[in-house]
Amino acid sequence: MLRLKAYHRFRFPSEYYSLVLKAAMDNPIYYARAEYIETDTGNKVSRRATIAGPQNIILGGKTIIASGAIIRGDLRRTGPGHAVVISLGRYCLVGEGCVMRPPYKTYRGNFNYYPMKIGDHVHIGSNTVVEAATIGNHVDIGKNCVIGKFTIIKDCAKIADGTIVPPNTVIPAMSLFAGSPAQFVEDLPESTQEMVEAYTKNYYTRFQPMPTER
Amino acid sequence: MPPGVEYYCPCLSSTPHPPPSSLASSLYSFHPLHSLFFCEECDAVRCNRCVMVEVSGYYCPNCLFEVPSASVRAEKNRCARNCFMCPNCQNTLTVVASDPPDNGETRTSPIVLSAVGEPPFFLYCNHCRWDSAEVDMTFEKPTGLAAQLQKFEDSAPEALEFERLKEHFEPFLPAASSALARDIPGVVKYNPLTRSRSGRDRAAAKSEIPDYRARVEAGSSHGLASGSGGEVDVDFMKHLETAGEVASLEQRWVNSWTTSLHANDLKPLRIPLHSKKSKRCPSCRHILIKPEQKAQSVRFKIKLVAANYLPAITVSLPHARAAMEMIKRSSALNKSTSTAVAEEHAAAASGAMIAGKTYPFHLAFTNPLYDPIQVRLHVQRTLTPSSADGKQKAPFAVTLPSSAFPIAAFAEAWEYEDDEDMFGDEGDYDGARGTKDRDGRARPRTVGVLERRANVTVVGGEVVLGKEARGNIKFNMLVTYTYRSDDPEPENDDPTATPSKRGTQDKQPQMKTFSFYTVVELGNIIRREESKVDMDP
Repeated sequence: MLRLKAYHRFRFPSEYYSLVLKAAMDNPIYYARAEYIETDTGNKVSRRATIAGPQNIILGGKTIIASGAIIRGDLRRTGPGHAVVISLGRYCLVGEGCVMRPPYKTYRGNFNYYPMKIGDHVHIGSNTVVEAATIGNHVDIGKNCVIGKFTIIKDCAKIADGTIVPPNTVIPAMSLFAGSPAQFVEDLPESTQEMVEAYTKNYYTRFQPMPTER
Repeated sequence: MPPGVEYYCPCLSSTPHPPPSSLASSLYSFHPLHSLFFCEECDAVRCNRCVMVEVSGYYCPNCLFEVPSASVRAEKNRCARNCFMCPNCQNTLTVVASDPPDNGETRTSPIVLSAVGEPPFFLYCNHCRWDSAEVDMTFEKPTGLAAQLQKFEDSAPEALEFERLKEHFEPFLPAASSALARDIPGVVKYNPLTRSRSGRDRAAAKSEIPDYRARVEAGSSHGLASGSGGEVDVDFMKHLETAGEVASLEQRWVNSWTTSLHANDLKPLRIPLHSKKSKRCPSCRHILIKPEQKAQSVRFKIKLVAANYLPAITVSLPHARAAMEMIKRSSALNKSTSTAVAEEHAAAASGAMIAGKTYPFHLAFTNPLYDPIQVRLHVQRTLTPSSADGKQKAPFAVTLPSSAFPIAAFAEAWEYEDDEDMFGDEGDYDGARGTKDRDGRARPRTVGVLERRANVTVVGGEVVLGKEARGNIKFNMLVTYTYRSDDPEPENDDPTATPSKRGTQDKQPQMKTFSFYTVVELGNIIRREESKVDMDP
């Protein structure tokens, strides 16, 4: 019955998108100017986020790292030379209290961390733990999720709030996953890419420092 | 429900006009804009309920292998590679070697690549820790497991019985009819087999089919697995200790025949395939959606979605936003505001409106076309049951700008690039917010065009609630827009006749009109005295 139940819960997944549309007219999301560091490429990183090993992290630009997020760029592959541990694309959001940790495994007796690659327009909700290997473009991950090690999430997928994605799961493109363990719920509409892109761009625009007069 | 706008698809009714929004059944005729399609040929909106869906390709959702449709049938619509579903929790299983290294790290790395590890191999679930050794299922090689499992599946007595049945009836089912049934939905109804059964020559058809002799006697619990309700099952149920011993319906109904009731008898399943679908217009059969061949590509060869043709409409309630602000401010400054006021604000913030008052609302129109358009709005006057008997009048009255208003053309350059543009009109919002305090009094510029920026025009409307008004404020709105067509003759088959995002050609411009219905939902009406009880958003 699990699948049925999950389906009922998302009988109108479009509600999410109508919220997206509504948000287009909504007010800006203000933050204290002192809390965020803005880079030349428009990345906004909270001073309250824990960025370990920043030399191993790539942000694509216009990406927001909210307060309380933990990004473990220090967990790098053993061996000499420079290694990119976590790369995020453009217009991403790492929500409050998120943990981004590269996946690890023991292969042929050697323990190692593996890099995590995240595409453009990826939003990760608050308090979600991500240990995925690859996340495509236009992916929306809800809050309070656990994305298991070496998960592969393809383009335009959506993970509902509170989903537990077990390790090594593959989430195909344009699909909605929910539940524990995560299961396929339904195909997303054909216009998902445009919707997510508009939403993430709009979110970045709305995310602005509190005007000084207030 | 937050305030919102949905678009009408006329596929469920015989008239072009939607049913009154006060009817609960009208819900099924309205859809969010992003889920709708637009047929250029018919110049009409199409929805997921009316389009014809065709499978354009199969793929496994786990290994993402694109399965050629020829082998889909032979593999019984399931992945024939190494993808298995846990029978317990439906998670994906991984192949594990049976003899893990002794350093105690098996738990952290359950996947062992085929290069390492010792046979026998078994399947292991990362989520619930089920493994196939529990059901005595081990493999000598870590590859080609599906073939081994399918052999097992095919040798099940039920599968053999089914095969026999199929063979038995094969000559009576013309192969052509099944192919036809697959290609054209609805043709199943006219299948010659069913027709002859129900038709006049029933006796004749019956005599043609020889009697079928089953491999296993029906009802005997010997040949078939338990679960068919025999004494074995009764005995099992009698000695049940925990509910977990019984396989749940969810775990059992993935099989097409009765399976064992025992949870510990469940077998791993090959993962069912997914499909990519193309969609056609139901009346002219032109393709509306055609995905790219590659399974994981999110691009489309053809994608005629309504969002590229119709203006997007969003609705907002200035009073709800102002109330939201109030709550934020009062909770930030002092917590000692009287609860009654706070509750009223909370109700307003959730979109509730109080009967007997007048509220403004904003509709923002976004033009997706490369040409400017002129929009005209009409509220659909409907005879609700209460107004038809003449005793009660409509619970609310909606005022919309009556004259046509323009929306500028869409241009790529405006796409969210300059941030100042987005919020440059803060003053307008503030003006609208400020009017809230003098609620109910006449205000200038509530109805009419409030704001124009880029390809967005915001118009204001007003809703007057009756004293006795109850329920949801929902009304149907007819949107008519005029755009410049590049095609002088509408009869011409040229697809540019429709408001596509095509570049304009040097033809004589001609104005064309398209109208569509929408339903606008503003929120709940609450009575003043009930406002504290009825705060349920």
